[in-house]
Amino acid sequence: MKLHIISLYTVLGLLFSSCADDFLDRAPISEITPANYLTDETHLSAYTIACYGPTNGWNIGDPDTDSQAAIGYSHMFAPGEWKVPASGGWSFSSLYNYNYFLETVVPRYHRGQITGNESNIKHYLGEMYFFRAMFYFDNLKTYGDFPIITKVLADDREVLTDASKRHPRTEVARFILSDLDSAINLMKTVSPDGRKNRLSRLVALQFKSRVALYEGTFLKYFNGTAFVPNGPGWPGKTKNYHSGFNFQSGSISGEIAFFLDEAMEAAKEVADQVGLVENNQIMKQTLSDPSNPYNEMFSSEDMSGFEEVLMWKDFDSSLGISTYAGKSFYGGNFGVGLTRGMVESFMMKNGLPIYAEGSGYQGDDSLQSIPVNRDNRLALFLKVPGQVKALYNTPVVVYEGVPDILANHEHQKYTTGYAHRKGLNLDNNQNNDGRSTQGEISFRAVEAYLNYIEACYERHGSLDDKAVDYWRKIRRRAGVDEDFQKTIHATDLAREAIGDWAVYSAGNFVDPVLFNIRRERRCELMGEGLRAMDLRRWRSMDQLISVPYHIEGFKLWGPMQHWYDPGQLTYNVGSSSSVSAPERSKYLLPYEKTMESLVYDGYRWHMAHYLSPIAISHFLITSEGNDIESSPLYQNPGWPAEAGIGPS
Amino acid sequence: MKINRIKLPCRDAGQLKKICLVMKLTWLLILTICLHSTASVWSQTNQIALKKNNASLEDVFNAIEDQSGYRFFYNNDEVDVSHKVTIDVSDQSIGEILNQAFKGLPYTFRELENKLILIERVSVLAGVDGTQQSRTITGKVTDTSGAPLPGVTVVLKNTTQGTITDINGKYSIGNVTSGVKLVFSFVGMRSLEVSVDDQVIVDVSLEEETIGIQEVVAVGYGTQRKVNLTGAVSTISADALESRPVANVTQAIQGLSTGVEVVQTSYGGSLEGVASINVRGLNTIGEGSTGGPLILIDGAEGNINYLNPSDIESISVLKDAAASSIYGSRAPFGVILITTKKGTKGKPVITYSHNSRINKPMNFPETADSYRWALFINDASNNSGSPDFVGPERLQRIKDYIAGKPGVTNLPVDPGNPTRWAAGSVEGNDNLDWWKVVFKERALSQEHTLGLRGGGENVNYYISGGFLDQGGLLNLGGDGLKRYNVTANLETFINKWATFSYNGKFSREDYDRPSHFEDRFMQYMSRIQPANPLYDPNGNLYDVTTDRLSIIDVGGRYTRIIDHTSNQFGLRLEPVKGLQINGRFFYRLSDRFARTVKMKTYAHDVNGNPYVAESENFVSEYIERNDFISQDYYAEYDKAFGLHHFRVMAGLQSEENLFRKASATRHGLIITKNPTINVTTGTNSSGDPVAPSVSGAEDEWATAGYFGRFNYDYMGRYLLEANFRYDGTSRFRSDRRWGFFPSMSAGWNIARERFWESWSHHVSLLKIRASYGVLGNQNTSALYPTYATMSVGMNNGGWLLNGDRPNTAYSPTLVSSALTWETIKAWNIGTDVAAFQNRLHLTFDYFTRYTHNMVGPAPELPNVLGASVPRTNNTDLKTYGFELELNWTERLANGFRYGVKFLLSDAQTIIQKYPNHTRNIYSYLEGHKTGNIWGYETIGIAKTQEEMNAHLAGLSNGGQSALGSNWSAGDIMFKDLNGDKRIDGGTGTLDDSGDLRVIGNSTPRFQFGLDLNAQWKGFDFRSFFQGVLKREYYNGGYNFWGAGPNVWWATAYIPHLDYYRDDPNHPLGLNLDSYYPRPYFNGDYWSGSRNKATQTRYLQNAAYIRLKSLTLGYTIPSPITAKIKVDRIRVYLSGENLWTYTKISELFDPEVLDKGFTGSVYPLSKVYAIGINVSL
Repeated sequence: MKLHIISLYTVLGLLFSSCADDFLDRAPISEITPANYLTDETHLSAYTIACYGPTNGWNIGDPDTDSQAAIGYSHMFAPGEWKVPASGGWSFSSLYNYNYFLETVVPRYHRGQITGNESNIKHYLGEMYFFRAMFYFDNLKTYGDFPIITKVLADDREVLTDASKRHPRTEVARFILSDLDSAINLMKTVSPDGRKNRLSRLVALQFKSRVALYEGTFLKYFNGTAFVPNGPGWPGKTKNYHSGFNFQSGSISGEIAFFLDEAMEAAKEVADQVGLVENNQIMKQTLSDPSNPYNEMFSSEDMSGFEEVLMWKDFDSSLGISTYAGKSFYGGNFGVGLTRGMVESFMMKNGLPIYAEGSGYQGDDSLQSIPVNRDNRLALFLKVPGQVKALYNTPVVVYEGVPDILANHEHQKYTTGYAHRKGLNLDNNQNNDGRSTQGEISFRAVEAYLNYIEACYERHGSLDDKAVDYWRKIRRRAGVDEDFQKTIHATDLAREAIGDWAVYSAGNFVDPVLFNIRRERRCELMGEGLRAMDLRRWRSMDQLISVPYHIEGFKLWGPMQHWYDPGQLTYNVGSSSSVSAPERSKYLLPYEKTMESLVYDGYRWHMAHYLSPIAISHFLITSEGNDIESSPLYQNPGWPAEAGIGPS
Repeated sequence: MKINRIKLPCRDAGQLKKICLVMKLTWLLILTICLHSTASVWSQTNQIALKKNNASLEDVFNAIEDQSGYRFFYNNDEVDVSHKVTIDVSDQSIGEILNQAFKGLPYTFRELENKLILIERVSVLAGVDGTQQSRTITGKVTDTSGAPLPGVTVVLKNTTQGTITDINGKYSIGNVTSGVKLVFSFVGMRSLEVSVDDQVIVDVSLEEETIGIQEVVAVGYGTQRKVNLTGAVSTISADALESRPVANVTQAIQGLSTGVEVVQTSYGGSLEGVASINVRGLNTIGEGSTGGPLILIDGAEGNINYLNPSDIESISVLKDAAASSIYGSRAPFGVILITTKKGTKGKPVITYSHNSRINKPMNFPETADSYRWALFINDASNNSGSPDFVGPERLQRIKDYIAGKPGVTNLPVDPGNPTRWAAGSVEGNDNLDWWKVVFKERALSQEHTLGLRGGGENVNYYISGGFLDQGGLLNLGGDGLKRYNVTANLETFINKWATFSYNGKFSREDYDRPSHFEDRFMQYMSRIQPANPLYDPNGNLYDVTTDRLSIIDVGGRYTRIIDHTSNQFGLRLEPVKGLQINGRFFYRLSDRFARTVKMKTYAHDVNGNPYVAESENFVSEYIERNDFISQDYYAEYDKAFGLHHFRVMAGLQSEENLFRKASATRHGLIITKNPTINVTTGTNSSGDPVAPSVSGAEDEWATAGYFGRFNYDYMGRYLLEANFRYDGTSRFRSDRRWGFFPSMSAGWNIARERFWESWSHHVSLLKIRASYGVLGNQNTSALYPTYATMSVGMNNGGWLLNGDRPNTAYSPTLVSSALTWETIKAWNIGTDVAAFQNRLHLTFDYFTRYTHNMVGPAPELPNVLGASVPRTNNTDLKTYGFELELNWTERLANGFRYGVKFLLSDAQTIIQKYPNHTRNIYSYLEGHKTGNIWGYETIGIAKTQEEMNAHLAGLSNGGQSALGSNWSAGDIMFKDLNGDKRIDGGTGTLDDSGDLRVIGNSTPRFQFGLDLNAQWKGFDFRSFFQGVLKREYYNGGYNFWGAGPNVWWATAYIPHLDYYRDDPNHPLGLNLDSYYPRPYFNGDYWSGSRNKATQTRYLQNAAYIRLKSLTLGYTIPSPITAKIKVDRIRVYLSGENLWTYTKISELFDPEVLDKGFTGSVYPLSKVYAIGINVSL
């Protein structure tokens, strides 16, 4: 037995120090050391799968935009309240994880030192390039200029301070595209699991179109500001290391063209390959009603069968992986309500805006009248009292009579009075709090269609045949007259400005074609989490700087006020007012009930808010003797280099 | 004259045995009534003159009966009354006459009641030996000053025969034969044994037990007389541990020794965990290394909490480097040496002890009813710019439910889904005090220990068995702990120079609790709404998903078994006088089995139809085995040259620790009774197969070292000691593995100097001592800190792949292969004094300990690194403090003995080096004390808006906006300390800390213990107080504030309701002079902002004093117990944690206020116990 041997060995061994050294040499027994890992396909798979998404969550939608409103407002719209943090903010830990993988696996791969299926190995490598690109895209959106780090760095202050230098945003964006190109070249068209629970070439292509479109439009609309490299007041100019900066293409317009071209090319490949799921315009209300694939695409437990879904996340509550999604669609979307602007943005079936003469709009005096003759997407997805919301594993459950605007908790709250059911699964078991197992879409191909249309128009000022085709397909599926020109002609930008910030770029109206492209995107992607990004790249919030915007919900102070006990609709009674006062608006103003609200007078904006401030601790740690000037970092436009205060 | 003789055939069986028993009981009664007088009455009042030449005994008896009125009785078969004797006395007592008459005869006599004298034959042995003489011995017991000592127990050694001295110190004991020994014992006095030859009067004088002076204490690899100690060593005696109704030894030693701190963990009063022990303050900052004391049980490392407290003979705490350096790298922060009981020469003594306890939870926060809770939450919502959280309809239901309005249930139907009940946290209107739902009023516990102790010519033995059944306080589900202990200590004296010893221990601990009662539970528990129901209106368990409160009862059990089996073999050789060679081999096998069962639970809809509430449904097993082998071999030589005394010791030691563990989890329980992995299907709740999750690992570490010690003393006047240790550890690479750790200490006992002679009567010990030593700490948190490893997980991915949780892997962390020993350098100076005939003892120590090259968080580096910076040896700290122990014991002339012991210790730490590049005040700062609390200075709560406006007007450069917006009446006004006309914390660095200053320190200072004890006439009393004299604490969490970051992180206890209200119509009333400002939800979970910002007004004074234990015992006098063949019976009442005084908010217990999630912990207990100790 081992112990006996050891004991004898110890006694003798201790008498001689060298033997004692042998006794004390103990390497990890059951730990995996780096030299033995990442040498097989399965290792690569385990490492990359750990990089996938958050483990839980629900479709949070587009709060803090003009499309949706959460129970609480964001300080982002109360300039002065968003302050430079003392610490926190940017983090590079996931990047370290990605870089370690690439630095280790790529050379081994080229030396043929990784066992397993070649195409799978390549796929996992591609996944890692994708994750790095995603990391950079998140930071590009948040901070703009950003350090580009492709290696595992030494724990040496000097090296790290040098590596902290921010690269101009165009370089960051080009870097992302190059990583995505690697991902596109390496990944399989269909992910190895066969069920689209992993990344694939198509996902990378679509993501590439998103990044390129983002950067192309950002540069276009922020051209001539401190937000673009070499723009007037660009803070990067304060640092010597940027003194010789030139755009890779020679000019900013060259960059814009480059990114828009890239966006079109990548989007086209996806859109040409992946069709849209059919919409039979049926909203299933009884067990005998046929299903509508367009509806079920958003709520199925298994989404692998929907062509349009490029990637989705699977859940299983018995494994502890589940969501609140079901609960969200049963109720008021966890308090993230649709705004009046979002609801009004949908056209009529006939392609006319609601305000256009002869549109056939029934008005918004009741929830039931709103979807009549509208874009089928609104008819399918707007929650209206009386609709069936559970058919399976239960007696039929009908949507509660009245949206509960008075509740104050996300379980039941209808913040605006409007809620959507894009994602509602008719199985009553999905309603279990926190135990939903319906899938979550990560990417769906319609975005590629939309990216192409927009990139094409932004690049060329007109729509090519493909763009026209894509747009018509989307409108056809939405049950709207395919003739988008009809909509464009009937569009009144001033009227649209009431409910849609994207009428503006840099404080001015955009042309009606572009606006309608943006409108299509808004309606098709309602609640899918892309609106905040779009508003930023379009620079669509400048107008809020001078004219505050009032977030509105449904028309409470019309006939629908009688849906509620008048005693409970209290207003102008100080901090316990339950609704906004009728004299402020006929529509419910969710953030304007009490004076305590920092946005009581509406959403306002500050230019600096287009990007986030960098926390002061990062300046201090890269400086000499806490002198912020000596740091290679520079603060984003408009933000001070001092903690605890807002932009000036 | 007719002689009336009673025949007593006592040796016959049957009925007469009963008579004997009755007689014995009668005796017991007599003794109880007239304890001190019976034995000597006749001998003094009946003086007789008698002259008989060669007369029969019968004649002698007759003559005495005639003269005295006494009558004799005896058994004719036993007493040969025809035996001829010669008596010639005048004026002697009957006793003396009988002694003369029976000289050389095997008879003895006793006086019974009613002037009866019983003649008996003495034992066969004595009878055979014709020289033996049986007689009564009388005498007087005094103390050294000649004062009589009443109540002294006098027994014949190795028998149950004995008596007690009377008020004049006199005693009389009959039936004594020559050659036996009398044992005189008295509490507080040294026991005395006196051989009896043929004397009849034995007067003795007892010396007071000189506590501490002659005491021998255990030190590293040996023992030392306390008087000769040069290091800082304190001791805890078994007495102080006796009768303590505690669950483990850690609890029992709290406060008993200076410099030893018992720190509660986040487990609080839960039986799942135990408090930790700390010696002499902060030792490391715990960012990569740990620094607890080394705990040695009979020389081998062990876990103090698996010991039966009754098995402990003594505990030594080696505090300074000189005392502990012999253990080198394992003992940088003190050593706790526990010696268990050994056998002693003598007849077998059986001991039994038992106590039964009631545990009652302490410090339940008083919960507001659901109506007041709702008002509080609504106010906090309104103040945060949100409308009422509890709307008018729900509020009305809450009121109606409390009022008992008919038809109002505790929960409505879900308006969105009429088949289901509404969400309790949103619509519930119950009225529960969850603390009382989850915890019981009282739990019962019991403890039994049975021991056998004795020894003979060749062997000494001690064997004991213990059983503890400790009930937990959980009401829902229930929890509990059972501990079983078996100990055997054997010593065999093979011959004059060789002794073999064996020490075996077994302990088992069974713990169980509901499987859902996990770490987060107490955090859920403290914030669940009183309106959230436990049962739905149909009486079914309600589905409170995220809080899991309702399912802890039915959701499965967690059971844990921990076994320790240890065997220690020792051989001690003494080939020549003064040379001792010791070898010890210790092997401990520890097993840990834990099983978690989570069962599918059902909730019921409105119609009573069940649906799955919790679909988790699995059995998980965890198995761990630990082999620990320790060997030490050392030799010691003791030699005196005249007045010079030398002792040399040298040896070597190795330790090896091997761990193996495995775990497996499989889903799909088929049956719920006795669930094991075998009865699972491996499928999830929808019937799809789920891969079982399995894991296994192996780890090990080892140390080896050489050690030596040299002692010298001259007449006990000059004392010198030097130690060294050369140690290696497996944790570091071979080039940085070995460390040399020397120490020196010296003492001077001034009381032994000639010039002191005239004083030595008053002060018998006056020793000053000093020590210095270097130690190493190898206790890095990681076992292989110099190896980079991949973090690989099995079936733990959060992103499902083909329906299963995939394996995962992450990049390795950065490591530094240059990692090596932390070096500890410690100074100690101290003094020991004994004065006033050893009634007063004083020990004082002052120490400074430097921890150098501590494993700290490596330098703060720019974030772009992306990985946690590897830890290196880069931090220094200094801990310093003092310890004072004062002890007074005295026995008064009337036999009353009392003692007062006061312990006081203090330790503070200064960071000397720390990689804090930006001098961030929330991290460690060089040159600053640890535990500093930075905060704002509070001016007060603004009572009106005008007051707030005036305050803000004075802050023209930004007001208080750095802390929040919309300042109004009821909010806090902070003081602008740096005069920049705004309130902020600057950059949070030492160079710019804005208006923050150090407002307190959370280090517990001046920890004290006070032990008051007394004994008198068999009664013993002990009360023990313990506490901290100075400490501050700031709690920014919702448990202190009520309102946390949002409504879900909030609670309403009665004290929270004392918040600012300026509305005279408020249902809770106007409250302008409130303790709390207006409540407010902020988004920050941990630290407060706005009104909750760290500030002077809400800084808690965490000093406290607690009556830790109180015992009242009574020992039944031994002559009484002797009669039922029992040596000793003691009964007692005792209690723990009976009383506390503190200024901390009543929401918290001072011992656990910083534990758990912002102070929500399993409550500690108050204990009431009744117990008995018996020895046979």
